Amino acid sequence: MPKSKRMINMGRFRMSAVSACWRGAASVFATSVMLLVGLGMTGSAVAEVPNAVPPEGTHQGKDVPQPILFPHNTHVRDNGINCMYCHTYARRSKVAGIPPLSKCMGCHTVIATDKERIKTLTKYWKEGKPPPWKKVHDVPDYVHFTHEKHLKRFVFDNEGMDVDRVSEVCAFCHGEVREMTVAIKNKPLNMGFCRRCHENNGGPSDCWACHK
Amino acid sequence: MKSRNDMNRRSFLKMMGWGSAGVALSGCDMPTTVTLEEGAEKVLPYVTPEEFVIPGIGVWYASTCLQCPAGCGIHGRVREGRVLKVEGNPDAVINAGGLCQMGQAGLQVHYNPDRLRKPKIRKGERFVDAGWEEALALVTEKVAASGGDKIAWFTNTVSGHQAVLLDAYLKAVGSSSLYVHETINNAVAQVAAKNIFDDATPVYAVAKAKVILSFGADLIGASDSPVGFAKDYARFRESPRGMLIQIEPKMTLTGANADLWVPARPGTEGVVALGLANLLIEKHQVDPAPLSDGLRRVIKQYPGTKVSEISGIPVETLQKIAAALKAKSPTLVVTGQYAQGHAHGYQNVAAAMALNVLLGNVGQTLLSGGEFPFPQLLAKRGNSRDLLAFAEAAESGAFDVAFFVNSNPVYTAPAYLKFKEKLSKIPFKVALSLFEDETTAHVDVILPLASYLEDWGTHVAPYQPETKTVSMQQPLMEPLYPGSTRGLGDVLLALLKDRLPEEYGGFEDYYAFLRGAFDALPADYKQGMDSENFWRSVLTKGVLEVPTGDRPLTAQVETVALPEYEKNTEYPFHLVPSARLGLWDGRHANLPWLQEAPDQIAKAVWGSWAEMHPATASRLGIQTGDFVVIESKQGKVEVPVYVYRGIHKDAIAVPMGQGHESYGRYASGLGVNPLKILEPVTDQKTGELALMGTRVKVTRQVKGQRKNRLVRFGGSETQVGRKLVATITADQFNRTEGA
Repeated sequence: MPKSKRMINMGRFRMSAVSACWRGAASVFATSVMLLVGLGMTGSAVAEVPNAVPPEGTHQGKDVPQPILFPHNTHVRDNGINCMYCHTYARRSKVAGIPPLSKCMGCHTVIATDKERIKTLTKYWKEGKPPPWKKVHDVPDYVHFTHEKHLKRFVFDNEGMDVDRVSEVCAFCHGEVREMTVAIKNKPLNMGFCRRCHENNGGPSDCWACHK
Repeated sequence: MKSRNDMNRRSFLKMMGWGSAGVALSGCDMPTTVTLEEGAEKVLPYVTPEEFVIPGIGVWYASTCLQCPAGCGIHGRVREGRVLKVEGNPDAVINAGGLCQMGQAGLQVHYNPDRLRKPKIRKGERFVDAGWEEALALVTEKVAASGGDKIAWFTNTVSGHQAVLLDAYLKAVGSSSLYVHETINNAVAQVAAKNIFDDATPVYAVAKAKVILSFGADLIGASDSPVGFAKDYARFRESPRGMLIQIEPKMTLTGANADLWVPARPGTEGVVALGLANLLIEKHQVDPAPLSDGLRRVIKQYPGTKVSEISGIPVETLQKIAAALKAKSPTLVVTGQYAQGHAHGYQNVAAAMALNVLLGNVGQTLLSGGEFPFPQLLAKRGNSRDLLAFAEAAESGAFDVAFFVNSNPVYTAPAYLKFKEKLSKIPFKVALSLFEDETTAHVDVILPLASYLEDWGTHVAPYQPETKTVSMQQPLMEPLYPGSTRGLGDVLLALLKDRLPEEYGGFEDYYAFLRGAFDALPADYKQGMDSENFWRSVLTKGVLEVPTGDRPLTAQVETVALPEYEKNTEYPFHLVPSARLGLWDGRHANLPWLQEAPDQIAKAVWGSWAEMHPATASRLGIQTGDFVVIESKQGKVEVPVYVYRGIHKDAIAVPMGQGHESYGRYASGLGVNPLKILEPVTDQKTGELALMGTRVKVTRQVKGQRKNRLVRFGGSETQVGRKLVATITADQFNRTEGA
C-alpha cells in the first residue's frame, strides 16, 4: 500500500525517537542492580514538604558530558540560590528552561571571572553562541508535562510551603541536584512513577491529562 | 452466564471503563523503558532572550496566507523559534479570524521534506547543485544576451511590493511579456463586470442579500475568497435567514449548503437566467425598464417551458425560484466557474448580470470596488488566457528566456496544448519554486524559493470586501535552510540590482526595500508615529487599511447571445473538472494533510474518482467503486466511480489536483488529472480556457488498477431509516416551540 507507507514516512522522527528509548532501556536494565547502592549514596535527608507524598523510584542515570561542568552544588548548596532564580520559566511554562546566557553573565561578569569554567562561559557569551548543553531530563513527545502546574500544586498553592525550599519539590523528580555538579537523572520519570505520585497526591488520573 | 464470545464492543468498553485503572497500572513500571536517553539531544538556551519570550509558551505573529490567491490574514504560533500552528487573524478584514484547511496545511509546505534546498543548473539530461551566485550569474548572462519582449515571466497571482519589483524588472529589460496564470479563477466574470459595470472587481455583498441565486459559484469552496465568503455567508444566514439557491451541474460545498439545489444541464446556466428574467417580467410584473430593448427581445424568446426543455429543470422549479427572487429584496445573482467555463461562458455571466440589473441589485448587493490609491500594488490577477497566449508565443519562438514563478503550467495545461514541446522552443528557462514539479523538470535553472512562512512581503488580495487593506507578510521563523533558499522579493531585487545598480543598489535586501516603501507612505497613514513605531504597529496588526474613493456602479448589459444546446451522441457526457478547498488546482497535492482530508462531497481521500448520477450509473451498469474510462477526443483517464445524486445526469465530475508525475513523495503517482483531456474550447469573448466545455464518453472497465481504487470515509449516504439525526419540520417546530 503506497499510501500507508507515506504516512509512516511522515512520522519518521517519532519512530526513531521511540527506538532510541528502547536502546536506552537496555542499559537501564543492565544497571538496575546498582539502584539500591545509588540510593544509599545520595540519600541525604529531605525535609518534609507539607501536604505531599514524594514519589518513589530511582534510576541510575549516566554521566552526561556537558560543554561546561556546571556546579549545581556551588550555586544551590553553598550559595543558597533558589532553583527558580535561574530556571525562571518553571513557574510560568511547561518547561523550566535552561537559563539564558545573559542571566549567567549577570553575575559572572564580576564573580569568579578567573575560573576556567567562567572563562569558557565568557567565550560563548562573546561569540553570542549558547553552550550546546545536553538534555538530561526528558519525557517522550506523547507526554504532556508542565512544570507550572506541579509548582502550583506543591509550592505556590501549598499551604505551609515556603518558596525558599522549592528545591525539595524539584528533588521529587530531579533528585538531589543541590549535591550534584552537572545534573544526572536519578528518577525513572516513567508512567508508573508519575501515576503513583498522582494517586498519592490527588493529581488527575484521566488519560488525556498527560496524553493530549 | 456469558461465555467469552459474548464480549461485544459495548461490554468491552464498559470493562475498560471500570477496570482499566488497576489493569493498566501494572504495566506502567515496565516503561522504565519508555524514557529518553540522557544526553542524546541538545538543549540550547537563549543568549539574550526577548522579554516576552517564555520557552514552552507560544507567541503569535501576524502574517499573510499564500495558499491560494485570497490573501487571508494569519496568526502563526511561534515557540522556541519554530512556527507550530497557523490560525486566522481576527484583525484581517478579508477573513476576520477564519482560516480554511489549506491555510492550516501551510505548515506542511514550510516543513515539507521535498523542499528544494539548493539552486540547480541543468547539465545535459540532469541537474547539478549550484550556489546562488553562480545560478544568478548564469541567469543575468542569458538575460543580457537578449532583451525586450523576449524575456517572459510566467507567474501565479502576484501583488504588493513583489508586483512592484516585477514590474520594475520587466521595465528594466524592456519587456511586456508578463503572463499570470491561475486555473481556478473568476476571469470571465471579471471581464464581464468590467464591460457591464465598468469595474472588474465589484464587491458581492453576500451578507446584505436576502436571496442569493448562484450559478455554479462555489463561494465558500473554491472561489476568490473562500473564508471571506464563508464569513459573509454566516451573516447572510442570521435572522432573518437568507435563502440560497444554487444551480450547477455538480454539487459543490456551497451547493451542499443551499436551501434549493438544482442541477442544470452544463452550459445552460445563461438560458436559465434569461428564463427566470422572462418569468419575473411576465408572471411577476417586474418592470423591465432597466434592461435594453434588445435584451428584452432576447428574454422574450425564453419562456419557462422552453427553458425547462433546454436545461432539464422542471417548470415548477423555475417558477419557485422566480417567486423567491420576487418575494424579497435585495437579492444577488452570482456566477462561478461552472457557469463561466464554456464557449459561451461570457454570455452566461452576462445573462446572470442582467438578472441583477432587472432585480435592482446594482448598488444594493453589487457594490463598487472603489479606487485603490496605490494601483502599482494591485494584484495581477490570474487567468487561463495567459496560459494559452504564452504557449502560442513560446511555439513561435517569441521568447529567449522565460521565468516561471510558483506555477506549474506543464501540469495544469491541457494535453492538446503540447506545453512541454512548446517549452523546448524557449532556449533558456528559469523556475522559481519551492518544490521540484512537472515544470521544473524542463527548465535550465531552478532557484529554490523561501516558503511564505519565512519570507517578507505585502499583498493586496485580488478580491476584497468593501474595506480595502494591504496585508503584511513577515517571517514567522528563521529560514529553515538559511542561505540556500531566497524569497521572491530578494531574487527580484538581486536581478534588478544587476540591471539598475544606481536605483536599487542601495537596498541591502528586500526587507530594506519594504521599509523604504513604508517610510515613503503619506503622513496620514502613520498617525503621527515615527518610522519604527509605524512599521511595528502595521506588522503587529498584520494589515494596513487603505481608504478608497467611493464610485457608484453603473450597469449596461448590451445583449446576450446564447447558442442552441448541442447534443453529442458520440460523446454524450459533459466533463466537469471540479475544484475544491483542498488540493486546489493541484498545487497542494504534496501536502498529506490535504490528501487525507476527505473531499467535502465524495468523502474520498488520496486519489481521484468520477462522480456519476445513479440513473446514469444504473443505465451503464456501474456501481460505486467500479472503474470507468472517461474519454474525450483529446485523451482518456481511468478512475473509480462514486455514484451520487448531487450531479446532473449528463455530467461526469472528476476532481482536479491529482495525477502528478513528479511532485515529490506524497503527490506523485496518485489519481488522474482531468485537465489533461480538455478539448481546445475557449470562451469566445474572453479567450479563457473553457474548463467545462469538454464532451466525453464513459465505458465500464472490468478491472482497474488496484492502486487507484476508491478510498472513502463514511459508508452510507442515508440514515437507512434509523433516525440517527433527529429532524422535525419547521411547521412542527413552530407549533411546539412557539414561533
